[in-house]
Amino acid sequence: MPVNYYIFLSLALFAIGIVGVLIRRNAITFFMCIEIMLNAVNLLLVAFSKMHHAKQAATLATAGIDGQIFVFFIMVVAAAEVSVGLAIIVMLFRNVHSVNVNFLNRLKH
Amino acid sequence: MIYLLQEELSKKVMDVNDIASYLPIGIQIVCAAGLVAFLMLVTHLLGPKRKTADKLQSFTSGIESHGDARQPVAIKYFLVAILFVLFDVEVIFFYPYAVNFKGLGWSGFWAVLLFVGFFLCGFIYIIKKGALKWEE
Amino acid sequence: MISLTGLNLILPQLIIALAAIIVMLSIAVKRCHRFTNLFTLLSFAAAAISVLYIPRGSFGVSSLFVVDGFGKFFTVLIACAGFVITLMSYHYLNAREKRNEEYYILLLLSSLGALTMVISNHFVSFFLSLEVLSVSLYALIGYLKEEPAGIESGIKYLVLAAVSSSFLLFGIALIYMQTGHLDLSGIAAGLSSSGEFSGVFIAGLAMVIVGIGFKMALVPFHLWTPDIYAGASAPVSAFVATVSKGAVFAFLLRLFYSTGGLENKNVWTVFTIIAVASMLFGNWLALRQQNIKRLLAYSSIGHLGYLMVAFLAITDRGMQAATFYLVVYFTGMLAAFGTVIYMSNKKGEALYIDDYRGLFWKKPWLAAIFTTVMLSLAGIPLTAGFLGKLYLLTAGTEVGIWLLVIVLVVSSGIGLFYYLRVVAVMFAGKNENEASSEPVIGKIFPHGLVLTLLFLLLLWFGVYPSSLLEIIQQIASVIR
Repeated sequence: MPVNYYIFLSLALFAIGIVGVLIRRNAITFFMCIEIMLNAVNLLLVAFSKMHHAKQAATLATAGIDGQIFVFFIMVVAAAEVSVGLAIIVMLFRNVHSVNVNFLNRLKH
Repeated sequence: MIYLLQEELSKKVMDVNDIASYLPIGIQIVCAAGLVAFLMLVTHLLGPKRKTADKLQSFTSGIESHGDARQPVAIKYFLVAILFVLFDVEVIFFYPYAVNFKGLGWSGFWAVLLFVGFFLCGFIYIIKKGALKWEE
Repeated sequence: MISLTGLNLILPQLIIALAAIIVMLSIAVKRCHRFTNLFTLLSFAAAAISVLYIPRGSFGVSSLFVVDGFGKFFTVLIACAGFVITLMSYHYLNAREKRNEEYYILLLLSSLGALTMVISNHFVSFFLSLEVLSVSLYALIGYLKEEPAGIESGIKYLVLAAVSSSFLLFGIALIYMQTGHLDLSGIAAGLSSSGEFSGVFIAGLAMVIVGIGFKMALVPFHLWTPDIYAGASAPVSAFVATVSKGAVFAFLLRLFYSTGGLENKNVWTVFTIIAVASMLFGNWLALRQQNIKRLLAYSSIGHLGYLMVAFLAITDRGMQAATFYLVVYFTGMLAAFGTVIYMSNKKGEALYIDDYRGLFWKKPWLAAIFTTVMLSLAGIPLTAGFLGKLYLLTAGTEVGIWLLVIVLVVSSGIGLFYYLRVVAVMFAGKNENEASSEPVIGKIFPHGLVLTLLFLLLLWFGVYPSSLLEIIQQIASVIR
């Protein structure tokens, strides 16, 4: 399969994530959308890693390895982000008894 | 020599796209479905059953229900879930290490040990702060 | 592969990382705010001093980091800022929060992110440092549990920062597609071999600019800044304004100078638009603010815009000017937020400009310090801010980027109004009606001392800048 397909798929996923963040008003849904965006990037990185490997495998056996390693780090960071986010949402819920972000307008002046 | 997680990249995509290459996936689906069926059967057979009159009665006694059905879940569950996510994801660093276990040798071993040690420090903190105390 | 030889090169980062773990374990054993604070102070000081033990020259530590004069300079700067913020947090936290030891873990971790970012030479290390920096910042911003505004700003920052970092990642992935490398030198090599910039590469670069621009609060991506500054506690706002932005700026310099990304006319134009918009909007929107933290937020947007002028000059002198200005900006912002912390009380912070009315008649020394800070941020002669701006201007005029230079001058003129408004309020008559019953948080030690020190630094750099400039001149040419 040409790498274009992967690019289109991950672009679509990324766009879904962005639209979700823009139009949904639930804090938990935000995290799902962010997760979709990050995973779109993961897909892209793995596809490119394979592409570079296929291109240069003859000269350099480890070509394209950095893309794959990067994916691991992105996954871990996404998990850390989500867990800190959930903790903050718990605090938010204790305060306003809702996870709807429309309540977040105190700072407007 | 560090290995990529996917081997045999030299194979053409065409070669692996025939029907036989889907066999492992088929096996996996069968296994997954089988596991679910097995677990349901086993719980049905092994679990204790108490058939009392109250339990078998249908629950429409004319008493109005009170409050919201969607009770807030106790914060403990959330906390455990959050911690689980963190400690669960840590494992993905072991996969590349496991693949390259031999190649990395002792230095890789010490590095992983250090990594686990740091995580252990976090775990000690969690235990000491009582985040995992269930009864209270 | 792990080797012990490179470890002395990243000594400051190791010290801060270890300190965070030690603080965490010490909290697990026994809570003691005084000890935690002192230990954090010591580790920041140790990190700053340990830079002296790093040999001169430019060394690569694996392919992820490069330790050179530039990185070392920023390491010291960030460690000093961390030191000052820790010092200013002690009484503030005592007054406003019961459990405050975890604050220092988070502060150390986010400083660690900043410290590793300034020596990053690879997109993986950059991304990891960025996330270490911002994930701990989410928690820091929402740290005060009793404060709904804090939690609100925490969640806002979290969502926006996460979205911006996914943009950054997408950009990195596209750059990776084009060049096949994630380290900056590899990207530079890949670029020079292919010659022209391809569309994919430009798209990737644009998305990286979105991510970096968000962190630095440059104008199209600045909307979070006032809310987060106003909602977070004052020490944390100071941290966001200085360490977080400064570290990202340092990486921006490294990224675009070492890969030559600015050679492309389109990229340069985009940055020019961003810089012009940041300078004008930042200063313009600050005019109408009554809340001092929001005012400082908009002013920081403007200052980052000024810094972009030197960045766009692409000369050694431009880099020296940017570095000098960043030091001045750090000092000024820390002192400004330090004053806000000093004036706060148990109930809340001294947020509004009216809270400072007649300050000169009550606390003349504090008012003098705050006046100097405001004048320095505005860029009045005899303060460091003036010289900093002068260097930026010379860097700009040398290469003839007149549009940027003119906008810099005009927006500094706009800036004068709101800085002087704050100064004027301080010297206005006493307002008798609100005799605030709560005493202020600030104590002579350490707040007064730190503020005085920062004040002296501002004057010192303003009158006798050559001491700092000599150091900067040594490090600034290394990066190219």
